[in-house]
Amino acid sequence: MSLALIGVNHKTAPIELRERIAISREELPNAIRALAAVPGVVECMIVSTCNRVEILAAVESPTTDMFAFLQRHFGLDPALLAPHLYQHRDQEAVRHLFRVAASLDSMVVGEPQILGQVKEAFAVARTAGTVGGNLEHLLQSAFAAAKKVRSETEIGSSSVSIASVAVELARKIFGSLQGRTVFLVGAGKMSELAARHLVQQGAGAILVTNRTLERARRMAETFQGQVIPFEQIYEAASQADIVISSTGAPHPIFRREHGQEFLHRRRNRPMFFIDIAVPRDVDPEMGKLEGIFVYDIDDLQQVAAAHMAERSREATDAETLIAGEVERFHQRQRTVNVTPAIVALQQQAEEIRQAEFKRVQARLGSLSAEQVAAVEALTRGLVNKFLHPPMQALKQAARENDSARLEALCETWSLPAGGNREAEPDTEATSAGDPETKKAEGTRVNENSEVGRP
Amino acid sequence: MYLLWLRVAAILYAAASIAVFPAVLYGLTRWRKSCIHLTGLAILFHFVSAVEMLVQAHRWMPVGAREVESLLGLAIAGLFFLLWWLYETISLGIFVLPITFFTVFVPALSPDRYTFPSQGVRMSWLMAHISALLAAYAALGFSLLASVLYLVQERRIKSKFKFVPGQDSWWVPLDWMPPLDTLERIAHSTLEFGFPCMTVGLVIGSVLAQETPLGAAYFLDPKVIASFAMWVVYVALLFVRRSAGLRGRRAAYLSGLVFLIMLVVMAANVVSRIHRYGP
Repeated sequence: MSLALIGVNHKTAPIELRERIAISREELPNAIRALAAVPGVVECMIVSTCNRVEILAAVESPTTDMFAFLQRHFGLDPALLAPHLYQHRDQEAVRHLFRVAASLDSMVVGEPQILGQVKEAFAVARTAGTVGGNLEHLLQSAFAAAKKVRSETEIGSSSVSIASVAVELARKIFGSLQGRTVFLVGAGKMSELAARHLVQQGAGAILVTNRTLERARRMAETFQGQVIPFEQIYEAASQADIVISSTGAPHPIFRREHGQEFLHRRRNRPMFFIDIAVPRDVDPEMGKLEGIFVYDIDDLQQVAAAHMAERSREATDAETLIAGEVERFHQRQRTVNVTPAIVALQQQAEEIRQAEFKRVQARLGSLSAEQVAAVEALTRGLVNKFLHPPMQALKQAARENDSARLEALCETWSLPAGGNREAEPDTEATSAGDPETKKAEGTRVNENSEVGRP
Repeated sequence: MYLLWLRVAAILYAAASIAVFPAVLYGLTRWRKSCIHLTGLAILFHFVSAVEMLVQAHRWMPVGAREVESLLGLAIAGLFFLLWWLYETISLGIFVLPITFFTVFVPALSPDRYTFPSQGVRMSWLMAHISALLAAYAALGFSLLASVLYLVQERRIKSKFKFVPGQDSWWVPLDWMPPLDTLERIAHSTLEFGFPCMTVGLVIGSVLAQETPLGAAYFLDPKVIASFAMWVVYVALLFVRRSAGLRGRRAAYLSGLVFLIMLVVMAANVVSRIHRYGP
């Protein structure tokens, strides 16, 4: 069994290509089933987001052609698709998946959505019945690694979007945003986004004004806010704790003298102006007043960029963590792969024990049930004690990927060779095209994995 | 025995002073819990020690410098705990807990050795006078600290977190500071808490002074004059804050002025001839 990962992402493919192969949530189960029907695919799942489409599969042979599936399914010219495609096998596939889940491969490194998207893709595949023990184990390990990265590094701790930076700054000024009044001056997309973030954080009343009253009304409806006529802009502003301004005015609307007036009316309670208009709506001089904080679009972007740089530094630590987690996953896998040999060893010993017990039973004469149980316990205890060193040696050799030692041990004890299942084709799996058979096989592998897990 | 409890409290304050740094600077929840638990325990031991000390030595009279110091430490720690409970912030602990530790450390080394001079002042009104003023001093200290932090935080936000060339961002290590609004509320509420304490303390002190043989002459003492000057500035500070909504830089300067007078008043115990610690 081998792991294969193939896909495109924001780094390798332009949006024009990504949107052609993006799979909607509704289409995803059918696409996964179609993928599962490809000969050689044993287990599979598809992650499709706005920045990436990736196919992850446990395949019987490294030659299993998933590229052809992509071409066929999306009706794309191979020459168009091939230059943008990346493929990873086994260890590299595991590493890539771990990095994706931990948001190290995202456009905005450290953004939290990708983990949820991978989890959702996994859940869809599970429901479609295309996930077995291999992917189950792999994905659970990827989720654990992602969680570890998030909890042990600061990769996701700071805001990197303009809207979230605005919220973060508002919280630095006001603490809780509960009950704070937000005034939207101009009904642009950006101010709507910022307001949405503020409302999500508990901001209270929303006031909206715009030169076109109809647009203000539409925006106010979105937030169940109140429309303010543009002429009353200064009266309304003095009531607001946070003012988000994004008009197309050629000159500043809010000047220093307005700021002084606001502070006087508000008895010096602080105000936060988020000026996302270009040209600016708020005179920078107003920011010099004590109690008034003014951030324009450049200031917000600068804070976001600083946070981004901070994330990049954290990403280095996260990469080290991921490398460790990938290695740990492979160690566990190798231990799982030696399970058949260990089971065979135990069976051999048990057969010998039972045969020997039967042989001497006649000579022992008639034993009571308690005496038989005592002899059984004694012999079983002895066998287990004798088996402990070779079993540990097998596990150790598997963990260290020492195939020579593993073979020597198997030969010594006449055991079936324990190998790296990821790298070895499963010769028994002949019914590659039958999804039902594959599902059953997946279940079998899963059972083995559970038994062999240390 | 009280010295043992005080020493235990001092050790716990020291541990809390260490725990507060990772808790605040790195936002580590486990350390935060440890810090709160250690402070709570320290306050408990400190309280037991204070009660034992006062009962044993002077029937509730903290008249030695070390006793007063210890009680001031208790007032500071208690106020810190109260602010944590009200505003869920332990950031001030970075300053407050080490100060509490050092305030308790000296009294924990050895007991005061002096003979109590007068039986006349052994009354619970004197205890009320001293306790109320110590609580007011602690509240003033907190208010000033919160006002100073307000200024720093305001400056950080106003500077738009600009980078200093050739260095890492200077503001990152200060990211632990509470929001402006929380600092303002702490500064204001501690002032409001301290004012009645100071008023009650001074009124009781004045009544007690009237009953001494010195009578009205008592009020010519520099310590007493400074105390009333402090109260007047305190009233002015509260009035301006309330009427004009004063906050920020000017409020911090005014708090600083009251705090400065408070230090003078405390130091005046050394020079005053009639209002001083036990010999």
